[in-house]
Amino acid sequence: MSSMATESTPLPEPAPSTAGSLRKNGGRSLPGPTFIRVLNSEVIKFRSLLSTLILIASTAVVMVGFGALSAWGTGQFAGAATRDTQAAARMAAQGGDLAVSVPTSGIAFAQLILGSLGVLLMSSEFTTGMARSTFAAVPRRLPAFAAKLVVVMVTSFVVTAVSTWVAGLVAVPILDNYGLKLDLGSSQSVKLLLVNSIYVAAVAAIGMALGTLIRNSAGGIMSLVGIFFVAPIAFQLIPGDFFKEARKYLPGNTVEPLTAAQHVPDTLEAWQAGLVLGVWVVVPILFAAILLKRRDV
Amino acid sequence: MIEANGLTKVYGAKTAVAGVSFTVRAGQVTGFLGPNGAGKSTTMRMIMGLDRPTSGSVTVNGLPYVRHKAPLREVGALLDAKAVHTSRSAYNHLLAMAATHSIPKSRVHEVIEMTGLDAVARKKAGGFSLGMGQRLGIAAALLGDPQTLILDEPVNGLDPEGVVWVRNLVRYLAGQGRTVFLSSHLMSEMAQTADHLIVIGRGRVIADAPIRDIITGKGQSRVRVRTDDPDRLYQLLAARGASIEVPERELLEVTGLEPRTIAGAALENRVMVYELTPLVASLEEAYMELTKDDVEYHSLPAAEVSK
Repeated sequence: MSSMATESTPLPEPAPSTAGSLRKNGGRSLPGPTFIRVLNSEVIKFRSLLSTLILIASTAVVMVGFGALSAWGTGQFAGAATRDTQAAARMAAQGGDLAVSVPTSGIAFAQLILGSLGVLLMSSEFTTGMARSTFAAVPRRLPAFAAKLVVVMVTSFVVTAVSTWVAGLVAVPILDNYGLKLDLGSSQSVKLLLVNSIYVAAVAAIGMALGTLIRNSAGGIMSLVGIFFVAPIAFQLIPGDFFKEARKYLPGNTVEPLTAAQHVPDTLEAWQAGLVLGVWVVVPILFAAILLKRRDV
Repeated sequence: MIEANGLTKVYGAKTAVAGVSFTVRAGQVTGFLGPNGAGKSTTMRMIMGLDRPTSGSVTVNGLPYVRHKAPLREVGALLDAKAVHTSRSAYNHLLAMAATHSIPKSRVHEVIEMTGLDAVARKKAGGFSLGMGQRLGIAAALLGDPQTLILDEPVNGLDPEGVVWVRNLVRYLAGQGRTVFLSSHLMSEMAQTADHLIVIGRGRVIADAPIRDIITGKGQSRVRVRTDDPDRLYQLLAARGASIEVPERELLEVTGLEPRTIAGAALENRVMVYELTPLVASLEEAYMELTKDDVEYHSLPAAEVSK
């Protein structure tokens, strides 16, 4: 510490740009925060946090792990499945093909982890005080919000897509053992991979909106869990047609209609589900953006 | 140049800043002095566009901060030593800040070297001492080589060498013609650093004057007068517009008149005066005097605390 104090005593040299006289223009012609620069800054912020990298790695591990486990389980119980009503329904949804949904079996956990990542990336700005630096550098605020949203959604999409694909690669030989075929290039496989990845990106966006609105990590993650895990169960337990109907409109229940090869009873049509998920993303994001712009940091 | 005009910030039932107007000029160090809770930080956050004023406005070099094309190159601010993500290294923090304005990596290294952070730049900012945090905050403020610097309590937590370093740094920057606005709750610190002083208490500007005037209490000169006819002298001086306190019999403390005027009045009216002492308040006294009615948190005298 003492050596550092002595290092700091000499006066700073004037920067080359200011040597001699005063700048007349106050730097107004020099580069300011364009969207690309702010995006670059958000990428630096994103990759310089160990916690972020850990969450991404755990998503990959969980996805691949569940893919392998599910491949084994599907193989083991393929024969019994026809007698199990739940599995039969799942089978029907995929046009009788159980193997095709194996790579995405860990998706519930991926959405929880990456959704929480969305919450944390924004809430931590406020809990650590970083927000004051961020919004001093980008006082218009919304470019920083948009840049962070892009980083969160693109990362979530790519991480989910890549880990789903790897889970598929791991699952293929396991399923093969049981005589089940999984074609990763089939249109249904590609559809499942893309829709699930888009869905997880959407969940991460909702998480980021919650983090912006609540500004508190625990509160944001609890709200996310409330929407995606508690509400579907609660709505199922409460008697009455209203909740049975409302349940279809929860964001977590939009994936099934979007990925099903045939329409599943008691779910929305695919186009409705897409619209509902879109509304679930756009509305919180708009609210978050408006409040972020208006509130004090 | 920073210009505040009727700046007001109300949080619920509490008015943090109540219609503050002032001008901070280029080429000098302007001190922003006030007790804790006086509204210094709130005012600075409003300058930086982080808090929205309830009413009034503030501009930096003629424009609200938010409307500057390259804000970090216009104004550098240390608002809070902890405005950093605790898990990110100092280097990456500065790098991310720099990226928003395409400030080259070489400048990041430059400010790290300037502030003496070389040894800890790769460590997590969350583990920094208050003094290290201040240095990082100052490094971030200098990043854009800005024309205007706003530093909120920059010497808090610094070791004596750090205090001297900050003092020299701000004097040097002001010497280059930059605007430096520096807050503190310590009068003694201001006396050694600032050219001009804005004193704030309970959200209001109490004084706004060159530091020399505040130290000498110009316009507020007090004179101690001993006389054997205090009643008569009291009337004479009161008639000339002085405000007078009578701490004891035969002793008057006169504010608002020069010693020469008092002596003249006594001579004309044949009142004997046997002491005439101009009172020059120390800086600390002057500050206490200015803010005594505006301190939000009063403490008990030590004797009463220990009772």
